[in-house]
Amino acid sequence: MRKHSCKIEAIEVEKVFSADSEDEVHALGPLNLQVQDGEFVCLVGPSGCGKSTFLRIVAGLLNPTTGRVDIGINPENPTPISMVFQDYGIYPWKTVEGNIRFGLEISGISKSRTKEVADHWLERMDLTAFASSYPDTLSGGMRQRVAIARALAVEPEILLMDEPFAALDAQLRQLLQDELLTIWQKEQRTVLFVTHSLEEAIVLGDRVIVMSSRPGKIVLDQKVPFERPRSPELRAQSDFNEFKNELWLCLKGEVEHYLERVNSVEGKIGSNNEG
Amino acid sequence: MKGEAQTDRDLLSRVPTLADTNPRKYNKRRRLIETFLAVGVPGSLIALWQLGFHYEWIDNRFYASPWEIVSSKKLREAELWSEIWTSVQRMLKGFFAGSLLGVLLGVLMGVSRLLRAALDSLLTALYTVPKLALIPVFVTLFGFGDLPRIALIAVTVFFFVWISTMSAIMGVEDGYREAALSFGANKWQIFRHVLFPGALPQIFVGLRIAAGVAVLMLIGVELVLASDGLGALIEKGRTLFLPELTYVGIAISALLGLTFTYLVRILGRVLVPWAPEDQTPNQN
Repeated sequence: MRKHSCKIEAIEVEKVFSADSEDEVHALGPLNLQVQDGEFVCLVGPSGCGKSTFLRIVAGLLNPTTGRVDIGINPENPTPISMVFQDYGIYPWKTVEGNIRFGLEISGISKSRTKEVADHWLERMDLTAFASSYPDTLSGGMRQRVAIARALAVEPEILLMDEPFAALDAQLRQLLQDELLTIWQKEQRTVLFVTHSLEEAIVLGDRVIVMSSRPGKIVLDQKVPFERPRSPELRAQSDFNEFKNELWLCLKGEVEHYLERVNSVEGKIGSNNEG
Repeated sequence: MKGEAQTDRDLLSRVPTLADTNPRKYNKRRRLIETFLAVGVPGSLIALWQLGFHYEWIDNRFYASPWEIVSSKKLREAELWSEIWTSVQRMLKGFFAGSLLGVLLGVLMGVSRLLRAALDSLLTALYTVPKLALIPVFVTLFGFGDLPRIALIAVTVFFFVWISTMSAIMGVEDGYREAALSFGANKWQIFRHVLFPGALPQIFVGLRIAAGVAVLMLIGVELVLASDGLGALIEKGRTLFLPELTYVGIAISALLGLTFTYLVRILGRVLVPWAPEDQTPNQN
């Protein structure tokens, strides 16, 4: 058995999307990244920088075009990796409880154990009263709680979260961040968390990784200097904002790059129309 | 997907496959395989059919072989083509009349609750009546010309198109409607800009099904109620004990159905460019 110092290791990962036509989109890389076991790593970057693409590669939903990602797992765990999607990805035809049980049923866990785990997560996420409701009747925040419960119920070693709170309003977002913080501080799983929000990244992460505009590369890999366990009040501290500004200076340049490119593409389209 | 990754006991690796490193080659290969299957599966079934005759597993007094069908003298007679043309005309007329009525009533009932309340159960009841059972009624109504045949095809097509249009209009998302309302759109504008285009992809699914059904009905009607056309040809082959004739008729109706359904599908793709295609590979 090989020994691995880290949980996730990305080596020279690149992703090029090519449709049937000639144009190719170089979405990602080359990207090198090591994530330690139990670490909470946040990826931030401008739109289209390939952060979600990277997450999907780790999840096995996409393959890299070149390079590799090695993930150390316990071979006995039926669901070593689970993912929370931005648009929830929960099934409208299953009840809240049915959704939470989904992953457990897929991995063939016994009925009684499934029931036990599902009940636990229903309670933990404050969803017990809605166990037999359909997602359509729930608010966005509750739906995302269901999605998180579904992902955590299978006890994954690695949790992948793709802008899980992006569709929520600011208050709810903060509330769910705090909930996630509490859960993670208790369970300590390896988490890869993609977000647009620096604040979110700093509150939650051990490390914040700032990615460049397309093709996404790492421009900054910064340890978050705040001690754990963190409390929600962290956001009000002055050094929190200092740190945030520091990161923003770095991210800002990348966002500007991104905007420049978008504008130049629009310019091209405009001139084509004229011609 | 997880199972596809290489597992080195405690190591999961995400590595490129051919589809990633050389997508052009991969797509080319995939298309080749798809074409091979699309041609090869029917082709080998036909070959098997031919072999069945060669080795006399199939009684050639009652059945015709592919080769007999293809080399049939009938195919070179001008008379056959006029039979086909007669049938195609009937089918097209019936299809257009039926789809027009179907779309019209489907739209009206999709928009109006009252109309739905008035007609839904009535039409649903009529829908379930086997249309061939209406032949006596239609002959009494329309006489012995082409009209009852066309009407029967039209009625059959109508029900398929009506149901899919109605549910398509009702299925257009409220958000789209509300956005138009917020701009002060009136009923006609909402229909023209939102409901109709929003429903069109689903309407074309209905039209495609109806296209196949029109061919089914055409042959059925002509078998029972015509002295010319493909259905009549098939029946003639049976009564005159000329299986070759019957099978020429069957083969041509199958080709007719294939062509017609395909044409409706192409039309749909041209008119509904925003709808997802049937077999577009998932991109990201």
